[in-house]
Amino acid sequence: MSRDLPLIEAIREALIEEMEQDEKVFLVGQDLRGTIFPHTSGLVDRFGTERVIDTPISESGMYGTAMGAAHAGYRPVVDFMFGGFTYVTYSEVAVSTGQQYFLHGSQTPMPLVITAAVGAGGRLANDHAMAIHGSFLHQPGIKVAMPSTPYDAKGLFKAAIRDNNPVVIPWHMGLMMDKGPVPEADYIVPLGVADVKREGNDVTVLANSLQLKNALAVAEKLKDEISVEVIDPRTFEPFDMPTLLKSLEKTNRLVIVDEDWENGGFASTISARVMEQGFDLLDAPVTRVTFPNIPVPGGYMEPYIMPNPQKIEAAIRSVCA
Amino acid sequence: MSLNKSQMVTLFTNLVRTNEYDLTMYGRMMAGKLLGFYHPGEGGIAPGVGACSFLNKDDFFSPHHRAHGMGHMLSKGIDLKTYLAEHTGKQGGCCAGRSSFHASYPAFNQFMYSGFIGYNFTPATGWGWAAKRAGKQQVVMMCSGDGSYGQDRAHEGMLMASNWRPPIIFWCENNGLAIHARTDDMHPAEHISSLAQGFDIPVEIVDGQDVFACAEAALRAIEHCRNGKGPFFVECKTTRFREHDIGTPDLIEDKPRTEEMINELKQRDPMVIATERVLAEGILTQNEIDRIKDAAANEVADAWAWADAQPKAEPCEEALLAAVYAP
Ligand SMILES: Cc1ncc(C[n+]2csc(CCOP(=O)(O)OP(=O)(O)O)c2C)c(N)n1
Repeated sequence: MSRDLPLIEAIREALIEEMEQDEKVFLVGQDLRGTIFPHTSGLVDRFGTERVIDTPISESGMYGTAMGAAHAGYRPVVDFMFGGFTYVTYSEVAVSTGQQYFLHGSQTPMPLVITAAVGAGGRLANDHAMAIHGSFLHQPGIKVAMPSTPYDAKGLFKAAIRDNNPVVIPWHMGLMMDKGPVPEADYIVPLGVADVKREGNDVTVLANSLQLKNALAVAEKLKDEISVEVIDPRTFEPFDMPTLLKSLEKTNRLVIVDEDWENGGFASTISARVMEQGFDLLDAPVTRVTFPNIPVPGGYMEPYIMPNPQKIEAAIRSVCA
Repeated sequence: MSLNKSQMVTLFTNLVRTNEYDLTMYGRMMAGKLLGFYHPGEGGIAPGVGACSFLNKDDFFSPHHRAHGMGHMLSKGIDLKTYLAEHTGKQGGCCAGRSSFHASYPAFNQFMYSGFIGYNFTPATGWGWAAKRAGKQQVVMMCSGDGSYGQDRAHEGMLMASNWRPPIIFWCENNGLAIHARTDDMHPAEHISSLAQGFDIPVEIVDGQDVFACAEAALRAIEHCRNGKGPFFVECKTTRFREHDIGTPDLIEDKPRTEEMINELKQRDPMVIATERVLAEGILTQNEIDRIKDAAANEVADAWAWADAQPKAEPCEEALLAAVYAP
């Protein structure tokens, strides 16, 4: 059985189901009990203050609590409220959790989930709108995923909670109330498996989260002219390279859309990998639609930097020209 | 809380062993037979031994980096030969030879070492939270220097410990210096432990040159924590006789520490203080002390022989790639 649920409700269901299944799972963050976003609504009534923990505004302390608890066999979900706040304790998330498993001889797994709301579009400016997936993708030892549909949201969150590694899994505020089918039965979306969201023959567009919606809209608009295949990576690390290469065997053209800065992000990483592993498949240079290297502005200037359907269409036309 | 004879012998023995390990590190480093850094312990080894000699195996602990926490670890019961192997990049190293000088002994609830000063305070909150939830009377011995109290992590850790009342002992080994900086230049009050009072955490200040005084304070703090009375702060006033780390000039601010200064500090050598006390109180005879010293020398020589016999850790890239993520 499946119902239509908003993405944020799908996340809430994932949390509830995993907390019910495994008493080692708990939430730690700020104002989770009163709720800032609806995915934690009512959870304290269900699981008590021991498992829905509000901390002072001490991101390092909050995150460190999760890290220490993970050492001791718990499976914390750390909610940073806004993704930008992960940068407050970036060194812990990136360096301590990401690298210590390896550095300490692969003895102590660090099963924890890092989540937060991200995304431009709300006129909130940099600190409340920055992307985080690219920054964590850069760091070894961390898995990174981001859902674009309610189905994927529930399945990815459940997979992340069951994974024995730190998993950074932000969700986009622009998708919060987007509805889609979500099964009631237990399921996961495995980390590291991309999803072909629309089949096509002429060009592949790799787009995630909110931009997947834009890419699908453009594909629909161009359908009588250009046949666009749209792939959702779902997980940035590990990334499903075989699915992308298989698509390029057919389309020979690639546009990557990523709501993140151009420098050193997911789009650049995948461009380089395609160059290394799929150069002979390409009939045109890989083209990226990303943020120019400008801080995410507030006011009315967000559209200057945001990828949008017009920019995606222009990129598709340029590689198909 | 006065110590019985067997406790005093344990402490004395652990102090001698720590000293023995520490002294060999200096020679190894100078001979190019040690990887990474080494922060010599001489003059400052009593607090770690006092803190950790009477912990249970399942108590959580985080050693201070002075003498690379060897005194803390051996006092907790860890066989240091795998640490020596780690420090020399060997396969048998406690971190598989990947870390140069980090220590991780999950079987002893020692989970992480961070080369970032002050980064253990916040996981300690998590260990304390887990200990409290498990209800097995475990404690967390969170050891550090004075310098780490400049980190926001220390303050956040104390804040949360103060809110949640987990069994965490903040064990500050205040040697008056952080590299070249004077502690009294970097911190506002005479005692680092004044910070804890702001978080309503009870404090004890102790003579860090006297291993027995340190252990008595540790036992009081441990009892407080095991009885569910929340966190505790112990500040040990200690020192160091050598430079911050081997190869770094021994300065205080921009001036070298003089021989007179060091000689003055050596008036309060923890080894001498402990030896005089066990002799004076008839806890050990000179013969017994000699035997303890011989045994320690043999232990350390054997540990080095074992570490030296291990092959270098030089795995292939595929093996390393496979070790980054947990299955
Ligand atoms: C985050 C961070 N900043 C700076 C350093 C460099 N550093 C290494 S040891 C040290 C001094 C530490 O002083 P203290 O905690 O008092 O211990 P001590 O070395 O005096 O025993 C510093 C500044 C570091 N390792 N990590």
